[in-house]
Amino acid sequence: MDQQLLAKTFVELADNLVADFDLMDFLRLLTDRCVGMLDASAAGVLLADRDGKLRVMAASDEQVRLLELFQLQNDEGPCLESFHTGAPVIIHDLTREIDRWPRFVTAAHRSGFGAVQALPMRLRDETVGALNLFRAAPGPFDPPATLIAQALADVATISLLQQRTVHRGTVLNEQLQTALNSRVLIEQAKGKLAERQGIDMEQAFTALRGYARAHNRRLADVARAFISGSEPLAGLGA
Amino acid sequence: MLVAEQAVRRGARVGVVDVCTAAVAALPVGGAGMSAMSRSAPSHPLCSTDDVSEQLEELQLTLGEGPCVDAFLHGSAVLTPDLLTRDLQDRWTVFADAALEAGARAVFALPLQMGAISPGVLDLYADVPTALDAEELADALAFADLATLILLDTRIDETGAPAGGPIPEQSIEDLGAYRAEIDQANGILTVQLGVGIEEAFVRLRAYAYARGRRLADVAADVVARRLRFSPDAEPDRTDEET
Repeated sequence: MDQQLLAKTFVELADNLVADFDLMDFLRLLTDRCVGMLDASAAGVLLADRDGKLRVMAASDEQVRLLELFQLQNDEGPCLESFHTGAPVIIHDLTREIDRWPRFVTAAHRSGFGAVQALPMRLRDETVGALNLFRAAPGPFDPPATLIAQALADVATISLLQQRTVHRGTVLNEQLQTALNSRVLIEQAKGKLAERQGIDMEQAFTALRGYARAHNRRLADVARAFISGSEPLAGLGA
Repeated sequence: MLVAEQAVRRGARVGVVDVCTAAVAALPVGGAGMSAMSRSAPSHPLCSTDDVSEQLEELQLTLGEGPCVDAFLHGSAVLTPDLLTRDLQDRWTVFADAALEAGARAVFALPLQMGAISPGVLDLYADVPTALDAEELADALAFADLATLILLDTRIDETGAPAGGPIPEQSIEDLGAYRAEIDQANGILTVQLGVGIEEAFVRLRAYAYARGRRLADVAADVVARRLRFSPDAEPDRTDEET
């Protein structure tokens, strides 16, 4: 493991956790670092909505197929299990789990993944979601890497609390709701931009994020403005 | 389902008023009301369960201030357990007093929204100081989600898709089956049809209804570019609207 990148990542994450930070951009950064540092091929952050359905908040790749693989776990798979038990689920060799999760294993295999781990995101006494890591090659995960992944999952959970609070008491519900809606905004904006420019979903996401960063704005705000066409967004063809 | 029961009792198709009635039955509130809101068109009250709710809706739209207005503008719930709080009176100088006068003490405003789609706000009030616990808030948010769909479905009727019957089973089902493709397809349709995001969503749902298909499946076809919508020739639809 690259110790320097690890140290840099935590500094970077801490640096991001200041007031008025951009949760959506932050979670994506976190999934990217999982891939960069932890020997993962793909990573995603999933949060439960108020019906207990897991929804993708961020992914290291915005392509439809990967999002599908995360979403599929509302029926079966390591994320669902980790979310329900509040414990990590680590699978070294996915092919052995075909009877346990037939649909999930088939889809994961089709996407080229051989191993997976899901780490619970816990806030207070409640599990609110899971961090999901996929790796192409089967085989054991490095134990320190799993510890670090859990630390990153914890940071992701804490970051939810950093969102501006409206009123006490119902903070968590509120923040989850706002975060989930931000994600819907981003999906809608990805669709519009991808169609307009003839690009794929990952390129659309990257363009939106690039614009938000360049103009020091939140990704969700840029997405909203882009959809409504309420202001000219140079370079996004709005 | 509570909401559907209300509609049966009324002997009509499920409407936003049934959501309001069901919310009052399920939550520690005295009344509920809903207003259609828009950034570009005048807002107007849609329904209310009692006089107090009706007054609250009208007050906010007339005054242009209040929890409902804030909820719409910020896209997040505004929970006011007690209007008789100093900073709330400063925040809504006219509304706070008028609402107290009307008989409301606690007001909860929940935006109806799905990403950039935000057709209105659901308002709940209680005549005594009231805080919603986490579960009650979750229920309130669920009522708001259902109201969003019903409100948009009303527009499906206006566009001439099959109407009159109860909300199709799959429509409720779709509520629980969140798919990123639905939102992506929604964004794609704004470009293909040259319409706003709400209209795009209505057209997507109308198409799914008309063919008895699941919304998620139709959306997946759109995202995979297997299905294209066009403003002039919507597939198999003759009842064009503008």
